[in-house]
Amino acid sequence: MDELKEELGKYRCEESRINNLNELYVDCSQSNIEPIAVLLKNQYKLKFIAEFCMDTGKEDKFKISIVFTNSKESYFVILTYTTVDILVSMQNTFSQAHLFEREISDLFGLSIDGGSDVRHSVKHEIWDAKAFPLRKGFPYKGKIKENHEIPNYEFKRIVGNDAFQIPVGPIHAGIIEPGHFRFSVIGEDIENLEIRLNYKHRGIEKIAENIDANKLNLLFERVACESTLAYGEAYALLIEKMLNFKVSREIQSLRVALLELERLYNFLQDVSGICVDVGFSYPAKKLSYIAEIIKQLIERVTGSRYARNSIVPMGSNIDFSQENKRNILDTLGGIRNRIKLIADVTLESFTFLDRVENTGIVKNNIAKKLMMTGVVGRASGVDYDVRKSFPYEIYGDIKKTNNIEHIGGVFERYKLKIAEIDDAFKFIEMALSNIDNEIKKNRPIIELEKGMEAISIVETAKGELMVYGKMGENNKFDRIYFKTPSFTNWKGLTIAVLDEIVPDFPLCNKSFNMSYSENDR
Amino acid sequence: MKLILDRIKNGIETIKDPLGENVYSYGRIEVDSETCNLCGLCEKECPVNAISIMDGKLEMDSRKCIFCKLCIDVCPNDSLEMTHDYKISAIEELREKIRREVYSTFQRSLTLRAVDVGSCNGCFLELSAIGNTYYDMSRYGIHIAASPRHADGLIVSGALSINMKEALIKAYEAIPNPKIVIALGACSYDGGIYKDGYSVIQRVDEVIPVDIHIPGCPPSPAAILEGVLKIMKNK
Repeated sequence: MDELKEELGKYRCEESRINNLNELYVDCSQSNIEPIAVLLKNQYKLKFIAEFCMDTGKEDKFKISIVFTNSKESYFVILTYTTVDILVSMQNTFSQAHLFEREISDLFGLSIDGGSDVRHSVKHEIWDAKAFPLRKGFPYKGKIKENHEIPNYEFKRIVGNDAFQIPVGPIHAGIIEPGHFRFSVIGEDIENLEIRLNYKHRGIEKIAENIDANKLNLLFERVACESTLAYGEAYALLIEKMLNFKVSREIQSLRVALLELERLYNFLQDVSGICVDVGFSYPAKKLSYIAEIIKQLIERVTGSRYARNSIVPMGSNIDFSQENKRNILDTLGGIRNRIKLIADVTLESFTFLDRVENTGIVKNNIAKKLMMTGVVGRASGVDYDVRKSFPYEIYGDIKKTNNIEHIGGVFERYKLKIAEIDDAFKFIEMALSNIDNEIKKNRPIIELEKGMEAISIVETAKGELMVYGKMGENNKFDRIYFKTPSFTNWKGLTIAVLDEIVPDFPLCNKSFNMSYSENDR
Repeated sequence: MKLILDRIKNGIETIKDPLGENVYSYGRIEVDSETCNLCGLCEKECPVNAISIMDGKLEMDSRKCIFCKLCIDVCPNDSLEMTHDYKISAIEELREKIRREVYSTFQRSLTLRAVDVGSCNGCFLELSAIGNTYYDMSRYGIHIAASPRHADGLIVSGALSINMKEALIKAYEAIPNPKIVIALGACSYDGGIYKDGYSVIQRVDEVIPVDIHIPGCPPSPAAILEGVLKIMKNK
């Protein structure tokens, strides 16, 4: 990283500094940001993971940050530049950059310069065109005005004699979050799928700027319920990184045990969902029953079925006794073999395999381009797991290899989810073996200074979650930014369903199982 | 064959009484008015303004509570206590007449259409959990419909986001009369922790009439079941 810092000094960068041991901040100018980004991508093989904007609060100036990672040597590079009203488009360099740029453009009111995709994403037709809610000038608790004349949104059209469109959503037929899918179909095959999201946009990043740092974990946990613990962990890591604080090994182990319990029920539900969509009801029902048992176990240990308000920065918000430890080990011991038996039955059933094999394939080069992370990425051969590349808590000791498949279809994702379930059992056992004493509830008061900034990164059940935080005044944040795993993974689904038939869409969708709420925020 | 053996070995997994007492569940917070000296610390600490001091008494609004337990931690006299009573839903009085009408039409079953208008997905995870074999909601005649035309009512979760407003109104209007609306969780009551967000422009009950709020963040499966059964009960 030091070499890189010197090298970048030659490019007339104004300033570069290393923060928190593994974050290299480089201030560039609007004119040389693009060549430096290309250099980092091509010569240093760094990975682009996010782009976000901050209102500096001075003379209407905005600061754009582009985040790169080096997953082999575990460091971040953050390129920043200041601008007044123009966002330099990176769409020619990074194919997913349009997602980030369109969001910035909608929420801050900057125009995208040189990009081919400039459609609105967060801002739906009902929004007042002049509302830019993440600017500091937009008052907190202020609401967006509604438009009275609502223009139409243009979806991509497929033209031809037999071509037709199937609109689905935003409200779906079942217990699912809202999102709109527009299938363009010729005969039975899907020719194009356009997904429109952000129906659930709640403005969490603005709310986060106005809540005291001591209570902010409550909001983090409510970005996406199925990853409550992972978001809590991301917040704890963020604060601990800013203060250079390390919790005791016992608390670290407790956190890992809880995080793995969360992964366990998530993957059980996913595997059960895939069985539902194939029509194999016995495994589907029994696996969702086992997921329920695990949620009840979490409730017994933490007092909440999703372990809310359990992981807090610099401590633990729950008491953990040896009795709890036995409780977890006993419950898991009883179901481990049963999951294996049921999973084996599905893998031996040829009607099941017939549906899942060679369905919904995303090839490796496309997965890399789309920045797919988590199980979906690893199913396509993207060898990246945050727990191994940026080890936090005790993962450095217990996570040695990544589970990986190469073909990238529904079957590969299914197999990986089963492998992750297996891993979760192992990790929980390893983590609990580190806890020999009682852990007492301890929630220290957080006091942070203005100007502190940090990036934390966590593997949720869906993939890589990155959080950037910068402190402002009064113990409140000046900016919180979430790069959620679903944000980039959703695009993978539109590729997976191409040339599949419409009835296979639910199967592909379930094998991805992306979260709408964490994408919309 | 293996599955049949598994079935025989494990027996029936559906529990007889899903509404029994759950000593681990979170529930209503009780105030001990003798030791409470109305210092107001909990009122300040509450992130969703569920606590207020009125007429020399501490009032807890369970519908707003997100059960984070911060007030219990901050209380210097230990006057607050969390009970395990999750049965805290209450039918809105104004809508009582319509509920009777619905009951007389549909007798013992209820088909609902689930709409999420901006939550963290917790309420819907719990709603799908009452469909699993442990709780098994279909034995009470509760079903989730795939179309509003087939439904007797809506089950709504989340703080109403501006982008979902039109869809919610359309779904409500598509349901034949008489219809009922069940709201899940703290954010469907007044926006909960998201109520100050710029895109949460209205409360759900300002857009469509709500019959019953089921409090919780998220409400547990048993609490949802209890609330829905309350609507169906003929009294």
